[in-house]
Amino acid sequence: MFGLFGLEIQKRCRMFTNRVILRGTLALMLAPGTGAVASTLDADIDALAAQVNKHVANVEALEQALLYPVSTRLTVFLTLEAKDALDLDSVELFLNDRPVASHLYSPREREALDAGGVQQLYLGNLPSGSHELKVVITARSANDSFVRREARHTLEKTAGALGVQMNLGARAPDFEPRVSFVEWK
Amino acid sequence: MVGQLVTRFVQILALILVLNAAAVSAKEPVPEPLRAGLVEYALAVGDLPGAMARVPGLTGDAAEFLRGRVLYESGRVDEGVEVLERVVEGDHFRGAASLLLAEAARERHDASEARHWLRLAARHGHGEDRQKALYGLAELERAAGHVDKAGEILAGMSEGYWAAVGYMNLATDYAREDLNPTRALVALRVALAMAKADGHEDRKRQLRDRLLVRAGELAYRNEEYEKAIRFLEQVSLDSFSTPQALYFHGLALAKRGNHRAAMQSWHRARKFPLAYPGVSDAWIGMGRGYDLAGYLGQSGEAYLAANAAYESERVNLRELSDRIRRNGAYKTLVVDARDRDVEWFLADSRTLTQPRLAYLLDFMTAPDAQRAVQRVAMLAAMEERLSQRQADIRTLRDAASRLAGSKGRDSSQKDEDVQQQQELLEQRLAALDALAQTTSQKSKLAQIKKQLLLVKGRVRVGHSPGDVSGLAPEKAKTQLAELRTANDRHLQAARALRKRAEQALDELALAYVAEQDERFAHAIDKTEQQIAHLYEYLALENLEEDRL
Repeated sequence: MFGLFGLEIQKRCRMFTNRVILRGTLALMLAPGTGAVASTLDADIDALAAQVNKHVANVEALEQALLYPVSTRLTVFLTLEAKDALDLDSVELFLNDRPVASHLYSPREREALDAGGVQQLYLGNLPSGSHELKVVITARSANDSFVRREARHTLEKTAGALGVQMNLGARAPDFEPRVSFVEWK
Repeated sequence: MVGQLVTRFVQILALILVLNAAAVSAKEPVPEPLRAGLVEYALAVGDLPGAMARVPGLTGDAAEFLRGRVLYESGRVDEGVEVLERVVEGDHFRGAASLLLAEAARERHDASEARHWLRLAARHGHGEDRQKALYGLAELERAAGHVDKAGEILAGMSEGYWAAVGYMNLATDYAREDLNPTRALVALRVALAMAKADGHEDRKRQLRDRLLVRAGELAYRNEEYEKAIRFLEQVSLDSFSTPQALYFHGLALAKRGNHRAAMQSWHRARKFPLAYPGVSDAWIGMGRGYDLAGYLGQSGEAYLAANAAYESERVNLRELSDRIRRNGAYKTLVVDARDRDVEWFLADSRTLTQPRLAYLLDFMTAPDAQRAVQRVAMLAAMEERLSQRQADIRTLRDAASRLAGSKGRDSSQKDEDVQQQQELLEQRLAALDALAQTTSQKSKLAQIKKQLLLVKGRVRVGHSPGDVSGLAPEKAKTQLAELRTANDRHLQAARALRKRAEQALDELALAYVAEQDERFAHAIDKTEQQIAHLYEYLALENLEEDRL
């Protein structure tokens, strides 16, 4: 009776081998036809993707030019000061205490920011004058504590595009998150 | 007198400010130092149009590489390859560019060119790029049957994910070639040690589980049951590898004579959908366990239960097959599996307990299937994006029409007036400045001067105030009409291609379901044999008893 376990395994192995052989044979049988079809399909998809990406970029550029005139445009960018300083969870952005943007970060987006990427967090219109920008961040700092912090920045909007870069960082030993604002006129 | 003049001056200034609110100099909307970072972020999150929009005019060390990468990833492969080849000849990003060129060569199934670029990437690359290049080289050697050469390359790698995967693959080769699993087990132990340095926690856990199951299986085959149990008990209880680990754990325990514990492991494996490796074997294992423990009645019942489970699964597979034929594999396996009903949060592990998701996970382990699903998903996203753009273009056309309607015909005249007024005000300010006596008057005039200076930079000669965006509304309307036509054309092309991609995916999915069905047909054969064997034994026992 005990030996049947061994038999069981052999049967399972034989079955597994058959499966592999079957898969391999199937792949070999289908390879010339399927491979050619797949490769043509891939080439067609690449060609269309190139056209569509260019087209969408054109539409977005035109949209930006029409909806966000240079005279009133405000763009807010987010960058991370140092890699691994903060594990960003979410960002909320308020303009004159009005919520204008919020973002929940996926691991992929966090990695992109860690790698030195710059996120355009907000694009909108703002009249000339004095305004207050408030940002609320929730994150896990490098010492593994969850934090929620607010930072405020007063900006003077004049005619012409204004870019505000929010640089988020946390330094040892306390890993307290800090946001520094840089204005690009 | 001076006070009245100042008041009047302020009123005129207010008017000039209103008239010129929109007449501003066009400025670059994205600050140059942030541009490369924006492209990198867009590429990393898959926003190719966003990356494409920011690439023109990009400067700096990364500019050429990013341009090549955007071209390559956006589908303009040949142009991208051309740019990347130039990057490799330069001073910056040589490793990363070589790695992309190797990927392009692999896509063309050109192994020798891929090897050339991978060697360059390994020489010039840093960090993960270098590790990927070395892993790629080791895989090329493995594919060519040069296992020792692959081992030499892997020995030169830094610890981490890529080295761990390389050693895992090497262990598979050793296990296939050697009669004794020692070499394979050593390779798996090295892989486990290498995987510890992986920074991605989820990926590390999944890989570790797979490595442990393989090590456990090899140790079991080598009749090292204690070692097998030690490996298998480290596998986490909520991964794709769990059922298989439980099955082998049960086998190892049974070999040591601990049938009760073995059956507990198989019982836990049975909780998983039958799609996972090891589950159907665990159902049979339960029958064997009862048999070995001397409970022949329960053994028969367990075999019958296994048989019923397999039959039921074959019905499910037939249903799955019908659905694939009716709705397509993408909807049946991918889209519907992502649907979240209200009870999803009550499930212990949504991914592992839903049969359809289980089949999807198993199906997606094959590279061809991954590619086929990726194609359809990409085209579906493209279609969605183009449909969204159709609505956007309509809205923009309305906005452009309104803008055109609101524009004054005498806008250029207004522009000139504003310019003249600006000059006049500057002259009067200079005159008043000379007349000002009190501190208050001087202060007011200083304030006005500041405002005038602020406005001066915003006045553009010969530019209509209606042209707030620097784009004439009529021109915008024409551009939008062209974009709409292009959008419709692309949308049609995307739909046609999606149909072709879905057809290819359906064929693969149906072949997979047929293979699964065959697997359960074999499993049914096995349980029926066991039942027949058991009844035969019981019949002989009865005969023996009757004779006595």
